[in-house]
Amino acid sequence: MASVKLDNIQKRFGDVQVLHGIDLDIKDGEFVVLIGESGCGKSTLLRLLSGLEEITEGDLHIDGQRVNHQSPAQRGIAMVFQSYALYPHMSVYKNMAFGLKIAGQDKQAVKLKVEEAAKKLKIDHLLERLPRELSGGQRQRVAIGRAIVRDPKVFLFDEPLSNLDASLRVKTRVELGKLHQELNATIVYVTHDQVEAMTLGDKIVVMNQGRIEQAGTPLSLYHHPKTEFVAGFIGSPKMNFISAQVTSIESDSVQLMLESGPTIRAAIDGQTLKLADKVKLGVRPEHFVLATDEENQFQGRVSLVENLGELAYVYVNTGQNAESDIVIKLDGDCQYQAGDSIRFAVAAADTYLFDKAGMALPRLNKA
Amino acid sequence: MTLPKSKSTPESAVEKKPIPWHIVFFLGPALLIYLTFSVYPLLDTLILSLYDEQKGQSSFVGLQNFITLISDDNWSSAFWNALANNFQFFIIHMLVQNPIGLLLAVLLSSPKLRFSGSYRTFIFMPTMLSVVIIGFVWQLLLSPIWGISENFLYHLGLDHYFDAWLGKESSALITLSFISVWQFVGIPMMLIYATLLNIPDDIVDASVVDGANPMQTFWYIKLPLILPTIAMVSILTFVANFNAFELIYAVKGALAGPNFSTDLMGTFFYRTFFGFQLQEGSATMGAAVATLMFLIILVGIMLFLFFVQRRIQRFQF
Ligand SMILES: Nc1ncnc2c1ncn2[C@@H]1O[C@H](COP(=O)(O)OP(=O)(O)OP(=O)(O)O)[C@@H](O)[C@H]1O
Ligand SMILES: [Mg+2]
Repeated sequence: MASVKLDNIQKRFGDVQVLHGIDLDIKDGEFVVLIGESGCGKSTLLRLLSGLEEITEGDLHIDGQRVNHQSPAQRGIAMVFQSYALYPHMSVYKNMAFGLKIAGQDKQAVKLKVEEAAKKLKIDHLLERLPRELSGGQRQRVAIGRAIVRDPKVFLFDEPLSNLDASLRVKTRVELGKLHQELNATIVYVTHDQVEAMTLGDKIVVMNQGRIEQAGTPLSLYHHPKTEFVAGFIGSPKMNFISAQVTSIESDSVQLMLESGPTIRAAIDGQTLKLADKVKLGVRPEHFVLATDEENQFQGRVSLVENLGELAYVYVNTGQNAESDIVIKLDGDCQYQAGDSIRFAVAAADTYLFDKAGMALPRLNKA
Repeated sequence: MTLPKSKSTPESAVEKKPIPWHIVFFLGPALLIYLTFSVYPLLDTLILSLYDEQKGQSSFVGLQNFITLISDDNWSSAFWNALANNFQFFIIHMLVQNPIGLLLAVLLSSPKLRFSGSYRTFIFMPTMLSVVIIGFVWQLLLSPIWGISENFLYHLGLDHYFDAWLGKESSALITLSFISVWQFVGIPMMLIYATLLNIPDDIVDASVVDGANPMQTFWYIKLPLILPTIAMVSILTFVANFNAFELIYAVKGALAGPNFSTDLMGTFFYRTFFGFQLQEGSATMGAAVATLMFLIILVGIMLFLFFVQRRIQRFQF
């Protein structure tokens, strides 16, 4: 296992700059998840790490050694592709043994390693089959097995679960988590899936247009997003953003007036703000509660209810235009229907605030 | 609400199915054309080869024509010569045309190659030209009298290697084979190229990550995946080579000189059926040659299907 250090990594394809200087430290045995919008350069970064694509500028160190010009095998990385990329003409056994065979390892040793990995992944009964005779989930395991047998320093995963159906994805996710603990491997993992990122990652790296927007533990990203982009990206459904104006600044909070009327107190450190500044209030759907007599009340009309049984997402129109629907997460047994009027509230401590440039202001009362 | 009982209960449906006129209608024309222009002439040829025609009288002789062909003093040497030449022609194509086609396809599919579109077009161009034109052009190029080849080699300092290749018994067939290879190398190239493009990048990337160098990636990953295409190219080559005629006829005429050294089954058939110079044409002997050509190709394809095709599997990605 190994640590990885990225130092101002850049990538250009001709004139197109895809990565603008990525700095990242990955500790030995760490599970790092890359997330970001489609086309922001996640796969490209992974390919640079793997050595499939050349680094335009910057330094890549694995275990303290500069590896910019080393081949994938020399770097000691293994990669699992979204399409699995199994060799269609080789049996499962041969697929898994291919890398070892190329490396010129002894047949008996190869056999032992492949069988051990196959047992670990519970595919030992499939070794003689061809990839096309396997189900999606089984192919996935073979792809992971092919990576494991080579005992690499770093594992790279590019959206490995996105071709699986929902229930299998959950199952495989759990197994991947266990596998990580068992192997204690350094892993870089690209995904679109919130849940995968939050549950698997020791560290989440949010990318935006070829830059790292923020990197940190899942909970630090959830509680203390540095920018509006990260706040909107972590958490599902998305955080609600509501335009507001600063009406007063106190030592432990900021008073805001929303465009739709109500006044809100947010537990935010507003030292850098000025009165009448335009800001954006952020509230996660799960932080709204049905109004009792608390402060920070909203009211509006229900425009849509998505009931998932255990919980319900209620879309509420509070203003004039329907686009600014606020999403609230409620219990599944709530009785709201489209057209009902609804009153709800948010605790001052559960609010987020972003300035005009989209930078987050420090939250108080949250460790 | 209950539906009114339909008249077509299962029993009556089993009793009588209407004739599927629409199937007859759609299949009919194509079937008719196929029967008239393909099956009937073939059967007629097969039957004709079992007859002998003497002074307008035709009589059934069984397999006598074939026995004459392969054992009679006047016929057999010409027949075996043509057959042997044809195999040589085929083997040269297999050893030269298809490997070069494969090599060109691999080069063309390299993402680093610039102008690959132009190369592809230029290499494929001769395939679209008439064989007669190709034959004529090469005859001129190689001619010791007007040809530019000798001069060309002279400038390379290789002029003492020049020879009248097309005029010598020992080299004429090989030269003609090379001309044919030059013309048709675009076909295996295109077919293999298309298959190579079909191999997903991920699979190649995976092998690179697994530590394979470009040669190993080609040998262990790409080659097995294009093997079905190579097999298909081989069978196409086989059929085309055993039906070859035009090139020899255009360059060497029906006598396939010098001294029949470039005689193929096609030219042999031509002389047998239509006659040439002193030789009298014989429809029945011609039919026998044609039947043998048909059988050779049939056996070749069957061996291929039995021994090769069954083992090869196509891969979807
Ligand atoms: N070979 C290439 N040549 C030119 N541009 C490229 C190349 N590969 C990727 N790009 C560009 O780089 C950008 C990042 O692509 P990349 O595949 O890394 O995105 P991604 O974050 O993995 O997206 P997704 O989540 O959809 O997989 C895209 O805008 C893409 O068009
Ligand atoms: Mg991607």
